[in-house]
This record gives sequence, C-alpha cells and structure tokens, in this order.
Amino acid sequence: MSNKSMNDPLHPRPSRLASLAPQDEGEGARRSNTLEGEGQLRLSSPHGEVRNGAKRNEASNHEGAWLRFKRAKTLRKNFAYHGAGLAIALFFLAPLAVTLLASFRHGTEARQPAIPPWPTNGFSLDSYRSLDSFGAGVWQHTVNSLAVSLATVVLTVAVSLLAGYGFSRYRFPLKNVLFVLVIATLMIPFQSILTPLFIILAKLGLNNSLVGLTLVYVTLQLPFSVFMMRNAFDAVPKEIEEAARIDGARDLMLLVRVLLPLVLPGVATVAIFAFLNAWNEFLAALVLLSSNEKYTLPVLMMAVRAGRLGAINWGAVQAGVAVMTIPCLIVFLALQRYYMRGLMAGAVK
Amino acid sequence: MGVVTITPLLKTVAQTSPPPPDPSGHPPRKGEGARETHPEHQMTDPGQNQSTRKRRSATQWRGLLYIAPAMALVIVFFVVPVLFTGWMSLHNWPLMGTQRWIGFNNYIRMANDARFMSALRFTAYYTIIVTIAIFAIAFPLAIFVEKQRRFVGTYRTIIFLPVVIGLATASLLWVWLANVDSGFIGPALKALGLVERSPNLLASFDSAFLTIIIMVVWKIAGFTMIILLTGLQAIPVELTEAARIDGAGRWQRFRHLTLPLMRRTIALALIISVTGSILAFDQFYIMTSGGPQNRMISVVYYIFNQSFVSFNLGYGAALSIALLVILMLISIAQLRLLKIGEERP
Amino acid sequence: MIKRLLATSAVATFCFMSGASAAETIEMWVRTGVGDSFKKVVEAYNASHENKVTATEVPFSELVQKYATAIAGGQAPDALSMDLIYTPAFAAAGQLEDLTDWAKQLPYFNSLSPSHVKLGTYQDRIYGLPLSVETSVFAWNKGLYKQAGLDPEKAPASWQEIEVNAEKIRKLGDDTYGFYFSGGACGGCMIFTFTPLVWGSGADILSADGKTATLDTPQMRKAVDAYRSMVKKDLVPPSAATDNGTNFLSFNNGKIGQQSLGAFAIGTLVTEYPDIDFGVTLIPGIDGGTSSFAGGDNFVITKGTKKLDAVKEFLEYVYSLEGQKVMAKYGSLPTRGDIAEEALKGLDPRMQVGLKAIAVARTPYTLQFNDLINSANGPWATFTNAAIYGDDVDGAFANAQGEMQAIIDSGQ
Repeated sequence: MSNKSMNDPLHPRPSRLASLAPQDEGEGARRSNTLEGEGQLRLSSPHGEVRNGAKRNEASNHEGAWLRFKRAKTLRKNFAYHGAGLAIALFFLAPLAVTLLASFRHGTEARQPAIPPWPTNGFSLDSYRSLDSFGAGVWQHTVNSLAVSLATVVLTVAVSLLAGYGFSRYRFPLKNVLFVLVIATLMIPFQSILTPLFIILAKLGLNNSLVGLTLVYVTLQLPFSVFMMRNAFDAVPKEIEEAARIDGARDLMLLVRVLLPLVLPGVATVAIFAFLNAWNEFLAALVLLSSNEKYTLPVLMMAVRAGRLGAINWGAVQAGVAVMTIPCLIVFLALQRYYMRGLMAGAVK
Repeated sequence: MGVVTITPLLKTVAQTSPPPPDPSGHPPRKGEGARETHPEHQMTDPGQNQSTRKRRSATQWRGLLYIAPAMALVIVFFVVPVLFTGWMSLHNWPLMGTQRWIGFNNYIRMANDARFMSALRFTAYYTIIVTIAIFAIAFPLAIFVEKQRRFVGTYRTIIFLPVVIGLATASLLWVWLANVDSGFIGPALKALGLVERSPNLLASFDSAFLTIIIMVVWKIAGFTMIILLTGLQAIPVELTEAARIDGAGRWQRFRHLTLPLMRRTIALALIISVTGSILAFDQFYIMTSGGPQNRMISVVYYIFNQSFVSFNLGYGAALSIALLVILMLISIAQLRLLKIGEERP
Repeated sequence: MIKRLLATSAVATFCFMSGASAAETIEMWVRTGVGDSFKKVVEAYNASHENKVTATEVPFSELVQKYATAIAGGQAPDALSMDLIYTPAFAAAGQLEDLTDWAKQLPYFNSLSPSHVKLGTYQDRIYGLPLSVETSVFAWNKGLYKQAGLDPEKAPASWQEIEVNAEKIRKLGDDTYGFYFSGGACGGCMIFTFTPLVWGSGADILSADGKTATLDTPQMRKAVDAYRSMVKKDLVPPSAATDNGTNFLSFNNGKIGQQSLGAFAIGTLVTEYPDIDFGVTLIPGIDGGTSSFAGGDNFVITKGTKKLDAVKEFLEYVYSLEGQKVMAKYGSLPTRGDIAEEALKGLDPRMQVGLKAIAVARTPYTLQFNDLINSANGPWATFTNAAIYGDDVDGAFANAQGEMQAIIDSGQ
C-alpha cells in the first residue's frame, strides 16, 4: 500500500521532504556511497570551506598538497561528526539498553547496582517471572492492553476518516465551531474531568469495561486525528472525486474505494499515534477499570512500582518497562516513515 | 499517562490549524493564505457555479452525517464532562456525601490559596527551564541531522526512539536509573570514580529537578528536533548559498537567515513544549511524588491532589476551569503568534 | 457506531450475567501491600462455601480514591478491606452499611480488636469491623548484632541504645547500616513507626478530641533529633531519604541492623527471607515507655449492597477459628482476642510480640486522616521529611503545625 500511494503522482512527495523521511539504513547508506552523496556532503559542509580554500590557495599554489589536505580534513570532520553521533546515540539509547539488559539479570541481582548492567551470572528470566506474579499475570494484562490499543486504533481511524472527510469536503452550519470543539478537547487536562467521565460511563453501563476505556481513548485521540485526516483530504485534488462521481461512485463507496488509498499515509500516522497513546495511558485506566483481570499494562506497572511486601522489585520494574516499551519500538521502527512524515507534515504546514 | 502529556504535545501540532500542504514542501510564507496556495479550492467556491451550488446545498447536511460519530464522542466524553466540571466548580462537592451550592466561593478561595500559587510558580519555572533545555539540545541536534549523509537516518531514528515510549514508562525507567542503591546513574558515577559514594539523586530539590529535566529532554528532544528539522530543511539552499557567497559567516547566516525563516517552526515547537510542560504531571507523580518537601507540585498535580486525595471535587473542578482558561489564553496567543487564524474555504 | 458498540457491550454484559449461578458472588477490593493473609482466607472460603468472593487487588496508594470514585459512580464493590484509619471518613459520608445490630450480637464482639472497633465507630454506630490487625514493633537483625559484638538476644530499650548499636553495626561495612526508616514523605510509614516514639512518652500529634494539632511538643522535638542524629552520622542508607514507602521493608535485605516494622512484615520475613535471624520488641518511647500503632484493615460494606447476607457469612468465616488461623499463618494478627493464643499456636513466637503491642497501641481518630497524615503531600508526610532531612527544623514544625490546624479547621 505504502509504495503505491507514495509514488502516486497525485500525491506528490516533495524532494526535500523525501530527504526528511527517515530512510531505512540500507537505503541511506547506499545513497551516501554514491558520487552524488559525496558531492552533496562537500557542498553542504557547513564550515565555509570555499572561503577557507580560497585563502589557502593563495598561500600555497601546490594543488596536490591542498587536495590531500582537504581530503584529510574531510576525513577528520567525518570522524568528528560520527564521534559526536555515537555519543548522542549512546545518550539516547543507553537508558533503554541498560534497562533491557538489566531485566535479564538474576533475581538475586535485582537489588544490586546495575554495574555492569548486563547479566553477570548468566541469563535469567527471573524478573519477568516476578512481573508475572503481579495482578492477573502479565499475559492477561498484555492482552487487555493490546485489545484496547487495537480497538482504539480501529475506531479512531474510522471516526476520524469520516470526520476528516466531512470537514474537508462539506460546508454545513456551525462547521468552524464544531471543528474548534473537536480541537478544544486537548486544552483541558483530562485528569480534571475523570470523575464526570467515570459517572457518565457508569450511566452508560460502560464502567469497568475495556469498551468504555476505548471510547475515552478514542475521544482523546480525536483532535489530532480529525485534524490530520482533514489535512490529508484537503491535499487530494477534487477532480478525482468529480471523476469518480461521474463514474457512479457515491458517498461511502467513494470514500473507501477512491479516496482511502490516497490518504493512507495519513491513516497510518493516525493509527500509530492512537496505538502509542492508548498503549501508554495509565491514569484513566486506573480510575475507570476496577477489576484485576481488566487492568491494562500501565496499571500493572503502578502496582509494581508500589512494591510488594514492603519492597520494590527493581527487576520487575525493568521487565515491566521492557514489556511496555518493546511493542512501541516495534510499531515505530516498522512504520517510522509514516510516523515521522505525519509529524513533519503537521509541522510544515 | 501518555495521553495526558504526550498527546497534547503531539496534538498541539494539530491545533495550529495550518493551511493545506504546499506541494513544494516549503512552508507558505507569512501572508500567504490557504486560498492562494490551493487553486482547486477556488473551483468549489460557492456562487461560482450554479449547478455546483445547488448540489452543495443539497449535500451540505451530509457533511454533518460524516462528522456525527466524532461529534457524538466529543460531546459525550468531552463536552458533557467539561460542563459537568463547570457545574461542580460552583459547589462544595465532596467525593462522598452531599454537595452544596456555594456560588463562586471556590474561585475566591483559589485567589487566596498559597499552595495553588506555589504550584503555578513551580509550573512556570519548570516550563521555562525545560523548554530552554529542550531547545538547547534539540536545535543543535536538528542541525546535526539536517544534512543527508551516511548514517544520518540512523541517528534520527535513535534520537527519536524515546519519544515513542510513554512518559509514565519513561519516568519509571528513570526512577530506577536514578535509584541510589539498585540504579545505574549513581553507581556508574561511583564506578567511574567521579563521586565517593553513590548519591541519592532524588533526595534534594536541585538534583531531583535536574534528573527530571534530563529525563524529559531525553524523552522529548527527538520530537522537537524533528519539527525544527522540518523548518531547517524548508529553507531554500539558494538563500544560504547566496548569503555565503556574500561573505556572511556561519553565525551571521544562522542569526539573520535561518532564525527568521524558521520563525513559524520555532514558534510551533515552542508552543508544543510549553503546552506539554504546563500539563506536566506523570514525571513528578512517579519520580518524586511531588517531593522533596512538596516542592515539585505542578498545577495538574495540585488539581489531582485536591480532587482525588483530598476529595474536594468542587475545588478541583474550579482549579481545572482556571487551568482551562490559562491554556485557552495561551492557545489564542499561539494562534496570533503563528498568524494562522485564517478562515478555511 | 456508538450505538452498535453499546449494543455489543450490552449483549456481552447480558451473557456474563446469565452465566452466573444461583450462589452469590461477592465483589471485594483489597489494597496491595498488606501481605497474603486476605488472599489466602478468600481462597479457603471459596474452597469450602457455595458463595464466592472475588477479591480485586488495588494499588494501596490509589484504593481510597478509586473506592470513592466508584461510589460516586454507583459502582462500588460489595465490601472492602479498608485501611482502618479511613473508616471514620467514609462512615461520616454515609457510604457504609450500619453494622451495629449485627455486630453486637456476635458472641465474640467484645474481644474484637478495640482500636479497629473504635475507628469503625462513628457517632455511636458501627460501620467497620476488624479484618486484619497489625501493630508496629521494633526489629533488630541478630546476625548483624553478633558481628558487631552486641548481644543478639538483648533487645534495645531506649533510643540512645539504638543509636549506639547502630554506630557499631555501621562499622561492619560500606553497605551495612544501623537503622532504616522510610523518610521520603511516607506519611503512612512514619505514623506507623515514628509516632510511637512520642506516644510512648505521653505526647500525641492531635488532641484527644482530634480538633487541635499538637505536633510541636518536647517529645516530638527529641524524637526528631534522635532520627536527625542517626541520619547525620550516616547510620541510615541514603535511599531512605526518598523512600515513599515502596521500600518500607528494607530490613529484608539483611544489611539493616534495626528497623521499626509491622507484624505483617514478621510473617513476610519468616516465610520469604528465612535466613534473616531477627528479634522483635516493642518500640521504645523517646523518654521511656513503649507504644505501637494499631494498623491493619477494617472490613466495611458498601451501603445498599444486595448481598449483605453473603457478605456477613464471609465475615463470620473470617472470625471463625479456622479463618483466624489462616489469617495468622499469613501474617495478620488475630482480630479476636479470645482465640488469639489458639490461632497463633504453632506459629512463629515473635508474632506474640505483635499481639502484646495491641495493648499499648494507638490509632489517631480523625475524619481527615488522608489529608493530615497519609497524603504524600500532606503536612505530616512533608514534616517528617523536612524535619529529619531539611535544614530548617523550626520552620518544618511551624509549617506543619499551621497546615494541620488549617486542615482540621476547614473540616469543622
């Protein structure tokens, strides 16, 4: 799906944007290996080499020496650049890596400082076992979290697709007011409407239910998603619709058959955002759910954080962080080109 | 609590109501309205074509049908709760027992509430410091990953990784890292011989605050970086080249060319950071429980405490309404700042 | 779309309902972190009765707000194992079932833990009955005592002695410490382990009628000084300064010489950490005397539950010798004084110290326990951290005294 829509002439991917979207490693590496990549590198080197070079040239007319010097300088610069890059990568990766490694230490080591962070007494799943002993077991909570997150994704996409289309293509009374209303959802800290939310869910018979929680998550997701989808539809030329109408496509059929493929990148962005936010949310889950077997993972994590028998089990915390983090990382790494692009599309405009 | 703190961050992108995308990928300059950049919208302008108009009026209600599910959710799970919150704010509303109408007494109490004032002060302080910290890291990072060169995609991805994990999870992770006995940072400092014994980073305000700032920067900088990167890349290469040929130094180019051209992007990133920081809660709740000695109680934390610890739901509701007003003012300011209030077709 | 969802969930709910059998299923909530005794007694009950109890564990720090929110939404569980200190507030709010008549006809009513019944009583009506009892006691690690050249069988009788012992134990090694307490603004931990110092010596933090804060007493000053001194001498692990209760039982790592802890912990230590050899005694007062905090949970029933009889049947089972034995085996002290000896028979003798503590134990009676004491951002919790770790002791006293009084006054 992705390739087709991305190369779609109707949905131009500007060349500059193309360079924004994170390429997968292979592609990036290939590109910078080409001559063009080299040229780009030299041209865009930020240190004003042209000027420096000119000066140097005056000083010494020895072309070969100068070229060697320049090559050495580029090399040195490259070295400095990637040295800095490694340091930066270390800072951003280390906390995650340390936790992941530490989660495989023996249960007896969980109390010791994480120096070194990797297992020294052999690989062990003790931490995951003790995580599993909290609540109704980590599988149950993972399944709950997955169910809520995926349902949130599906509903958010469906609802925002319709709403984005409506806001983009139709004029109707109070349109702007309603749009602002949707966007306004993010202006109130939702902690402060938790009690009314709880009461309303209870009235609807949706308290202590994953369905109720999902509906709340979808609502929290709407401002971003509706906005995103409206922009996506705005970017689709109307001629396409007109043509499809002439061919007899109407309404939902038109939306699903003709327009959906054109806004798929937007849909993907909305879906990823919905997944990450639903997966990570804890306070609403804590307040709105009230039985062990329905708790989502973040609530389990709060129980782990609270400790048991007067002691916090850091091993279980590490394991929990790993279980919480890995699905997010997988979703992100698998779909990052959409995620980043969606983010940037939002920012550029 | 991803939804609370991260989502507003991400969502604020949406809030800034941008004009439709420009196929060139460059952000429209100041003054360029949506209409100018999008010829196809003119085609459907009402009054331009009689038959179009007729069909439009027939189908305009269909638009409402499309947005109905979204509106239903927003009304049931947002508008009603907010109205309810407003209603509660006019009551003495204990969590249990009977509520009593007290008019605007909660708002009067708020004006004299020293703890609320100190929560406001702390939130402002945190917002300023964390925003400066995020920019101080994210801007150089954006410049660092701007040029297409070997591994740059990998760097971007790695820097962005922490953004996708939840703030609550990140807080939990860092509370372990910062633990004095079983953690990583303190023991690592000790192992490197930088300190004599592992420090309890969360015990004093300064070191705890610093730890939280570093955690937030770690978590958020990638996000800000990507937004700034967008702005950087939208600056036409010819302009910088021309400036360079004219003999402008690196700093001069940055100061007089890059910064002004990135005004909108910077404003956007700024606003996202500010909004997210004003709503900060998770990191203080999970990492320091508002301590040491209550010096890290943010506004949302205070609302949470009033509502769910002291059970003064009425007062908590009044505080929420106050925060809503503050955020709304900031949003209006941001719309002004970004000059993006233009009507859409 | 919503309608369809509503319909779906309605169908789902219906299926669940029709799946239930004729026997009643009681929904109960219990806070985490109080040991396994309740879980085990529920298991034993379910195995032998037609009615069933489903117990949901709720993180202890969120239990009260969750329960209160659930009541507001009309979705509370039938019964709750509630930290006894909250019973007055919930009873006062009219959320709990009046158990007076039923309770008084129980043949063993007069031997139920008096502190619990007192806290369960509001305006002469009884709303809460003891479910689990724990008292705070002072524990020392006999192994470390021996290594430090101290007599492992001699319980310290004063805080001077405790400090001297702590210094000797601290000398044993870099990571061995003489004393531990949860000093990171854990109001619950400190009321449990620290107020006995002043209670034992005749002072209190609240007046008898609960209407005046009496924090600033010479006894409290001395108690604070004792803790400050140990912190200053590095006898307490640095982690204590930020422990908000999650590591309350640090004693179990075997590197802590002495610590005040609860009877639940005795059970935990015995079953989970059998290699730690420890002794327990009553917590000495700062100026002589001994005291303890009577803690644990009260059993409360949500007002208007339709399963009242089933709930009562369960509670009667808990009070039976069989139930009491199960509870005791997993760390709760017997709630019935008349069969306490029998219930503890064959169990660790150190549990007897916990039982003895009931006689000297106190529990503050206030409707605002959460605001005053337990909240991590309340005056008591803040005070304990500021006074023991801060630079301005006088300021800490003044702030806390003022804020406590303000909270009490606002509740009148």
